[in-house]
Amino acid sequence: MTRTLLQVRELSKRFKEREVVKGISFNITEGSCAALLGPNGAGKTTTISMLAGLLQPSGGSIELLVNGSPTTDRRPYIGFLPQMPVFYPWMTGVEFLLYAGELAGLTSREVKSETGEWLEAVGLREAGKRRIGSYSGGMKQRLGLAQALIHRPKLLILDEPVSALDPTGRKDVLTLLQRIRRETTVLFSTHVLHDAEEICDEIIMIRNGDIALQGSLDHVRRTYSEPVIRLEVGGDEASRSWLTAACGKDFVIHSEVSGGRAKMKVANVEQASRALMADAVSHRIMIRSLEAGHSTLEDLFLKVVQA
Amino acid sequence: MRQFLLFFRKEMMEMRRSFKWLWVPLVFLMLGIIQPVVTRFMPQILESSGNLPKGMTITIEPPSGSEVMAQTLGQYNSVGLMILVLSIMTLISGERQSGVSQMIFAKPVSYVSYAAAKWASMLSLVTASFVLGYAGAWYYTMQMIGNVETGAAVKAGLLYLLWLWFTGSLTLLMSSLLNPAAGIAFVSIGAAILLSMASGWLPRFTAYSPGSLPQISVRWLQASDAPAGAFGAAILCLMCMIFFFMIAAYQVKIRKSNV
Repeated sequence: MTRTLLQVRELSKRFKEREVVKGISFNITEGSCAALLGPNGAGKTTTISMLAGLLQPSGGSIELLVNGSPTTDRRPYIGFLPQMPVFYPWMTGVEFLLYAGELAGLTSREVKSETGEWLEAVGLREAGKRRIGSYSGGMKQRLGLAQALIHRPKLLILDEPVSALDPTGRKDVLTLLQRIRRETTVLFSTHVLHDAEEICDEIIMIRNGDIALQGSLDHVRRTYSEPVIRLEVGGDEASRSWLTAACGKDFVIHSEVSGGRAKMKVANVEQASRALMADAVSHRIMIRSLEAGHSTLEDLFLKVVQA
Repeated sequence: MRQFLLFFRKEMMEMRRSFKWLWVPLVFLMLGIIQPVVTRFMPQILESSGNLPKGMTITIEPPSGSEVMAQTLGQYNSVGLMILVLSIMTLISGERQSGVSQMIFAKPVSYVSYAAAKWASMLSLVTASFVLGYAGAWYYTMQMIGNVETGAAVKAGLLYLLWLWFTGSLTLLMSSLLNPAAGIAFVSIGAAILLSMASGWLPRFTAYSPGSLPQISVRWLQASDAPAGAFGAAILCLMCMIFFFMIAAYQVKIRKSNV
């Protein structure tokens, strides 16, 4: 079942003279997990804020389709976690969830059971009784997730959910997201490509307020990935000069060398790696590692960003 | 209505936990008591200051109770106003500045309820503090100075309370328009002082200005006859408050966060 949940048409935002988002259009299907990728300053947060209803778009439309028909007020169906969630430091975690749940329209009985459930789910059962002022960054992020999900939204919107966290916090949040995405449609922005590859199945890459590329992760991989050879040789002078010479061979379309490593874009991986190895052997060069594969999402991202 | 109560409960809890419910009424109570106590002991204070020539006696005509009450209102008009503005200036801007409003307004909440809860909590704090302070002043005046005419004191107190409401509403309006706390305090206090001074300088043009409320209430206490313009000023003041509220609610709606 692939029904469209969110329909964005020609969305734009202008701050005085500067156009931050320049008419972007995309759809998000129900049950998918989409990542909004882009470098800092590309317009991710502005786009997300408009989707969450915090900013008034300068043009275009955002439509949330619930059971196939558009809604006038999409806020009841959206859960939102801002980039740096800020809470009332004088409230306890439990109090904030109760407050958030009731604001979202749950009855006081519903909100009590949901609060207990979500505190458990995000691992804050014990800390819930403490004041939020004493929480760490990771705990705040998890509490933020809980408050975004407490009313069981159709669409969960997250702005850079893991960028500011340490590795453990990141892993916690990503594991939670893996679980959540089974029940809810998720849209999140990030510049950490690894995270996007790990959990999402659709990507929207934006650059300078424009969509640079979009599609399902598989499709993007198939269409844009290029055959690449990563080669590492020893640090001695002879190996280095051989590496530089190897990059100049006619089967290498494009190359980047740094230290004893080289990344070469080639037409045919198999042929090229065979030729490289033979050449290395004839010059008595030690190859430390040779990886014949495809360009990653990160390579694509860099290409898109720098283009 | 349910959301209004939710917001209101949260505001009350915040004011309690930040001890606003403790120190604002205490300051108002202190301000209220100081005037009658100082007036009562003025001769002794002067005597103990000790640099009077020997044999010199001072006779101070003891003021009437109503006069002391009027002086108390003068105290409120300087320090009291400042305390009031400082205690509520970040009520709206603070949440927008910190970013917590992003989470609140992403939920299906009503902006009018939000603003109304801010107003209601401000009005309760101001009313409770002023009533406590005024009652304290009245009690000590009765004990130490002399009788105060009940009808005049109640009317003067109510009119003065209306003026504090006006200043509080003005501060909340500024809080919805501006971000820096210093700017909010400066504009609100400045505007309140200007308004109340203008009614002294240009009484003809500001007959019904809310700024004339402090003077009207002082005159009521001193002269004990209904000053002209009290009713008009009160009505205009209430209308201003409603107007400020509407602008603030609209501002909350269009400026949900700082992104």
